[in-house]
Amino acid sequence: MDVQQATDDLRRRTLAEIPRVLDRLIYLASTRDYNTGLYYHDGLASRFGQEVACEALADCHREAFRVLVGASLQDLVNQMQGYMDSTHTRATDFLTAWRKLEPYRVAVPVETDPLLADFLFSNFKIALAILEARLNRPPAGPSASPHP
Amino acid sequence: MTQLIFFILVGLLLIASVFLMMARRGRKAEGGAQALVDARHALSALQLDLLPSELVGRILAMRDSEYIRAETSPRIQEMFRRERKRIALSWVRQVRGQILSLRRFHLGAARSYAQLSFRTEIGLALDFAALLFACRVLQVMLYLRGPYAVPRMVEATASAATRLCSVSEKSLAFLKPAHPGSYLDHSAGAA
Repeated sequence: MDVQQATDDLRRRTLAEIPRVLDRLIYLASTRDYNTGLYYHDGLASRFGQEVACEALADCHREAFRVLVGASLQDLVNQMQGYMDSTHTRATDFLTAWRKLEPYRVAVPVETDPLLADFLFSNFKIALAILEARLNRPPAGPSASPHP
Repeated sequence: MTQLIFFILVGLLLIASVFLMMARRGRKAEGGAQALVDARHALSALQLDLLPSELVGRILAMRDSEYIRAETSPRIQEMFRRERKRIALSWVRQVRGQILSLRRFHLGAARSYAQLSFRTEIGLALDFAALLFACRVLQVMLYLRGPYAVPRMVEATASAATRLCSVSEKSLAFLKPAHPGSYLDHSAGAA
């Protein structure tokens, strides 16, 4: 019951402010200590205790992962475009870093089914290729149109 | 003297057979427990991770294929086909692996745990053989033609595997997974 209350609290106070599921996944993954696999959130822990907060964060992380796996490729491309814009990084730098470092690999919950994780990674790779192609596409305009 | 040698030989044979029986019994208990754990794991993996129609439908979603065909260059279309083929092959390989694991249990240890009739066992054996053959055919078809060319075959294999899991689960009720649920949830928290 406590975990459910903490989960509801987390959704209402924090996650409601993060509309894109991709952003939620990255945010929730960032609350996890990579050495221990435990999640930390000071505000939630002060209200519900560390253990309950950890479970609530893990539940929301798994939920965000499931929703993102279920999202269409087009939706994922749009979410990545939105996330990239929100970082205020140059698009080429962002895309190069994501292609080389593959940061999404550390954003999945523990004990995720390997096939589902692989499927999401595959979609990320395709989405990155689409965004790169968009970036390299010559701008459409009067100069691009054929001369009469 | 001859009689003494005969009785000593008989005694030695008896002792050897007792040792052999004890060794076989020990091995069966250990192997049976391991087979039970493997079968439980295989059933859970199939029912919760690999066979839910949401997952199969998601891998083969036409909306992705249509989006890629309409919006991207031939290079990305090729990349998409290659990636989907790789995922589909990985899926069928894992399904086949878990089916094999489940069959091992039925072939070996199931009799120790479940009251299976001869007819049920024969039926299960035929189902296992047919499904494993179907998985092999599907692997070849996926390799040659890709997942979007054989969606019905993928769905039919998943349905057959689901039915087999149900039969297996009914005959081995104690193998029921502890945490039913699906990995894909389209309703919660979608942006």
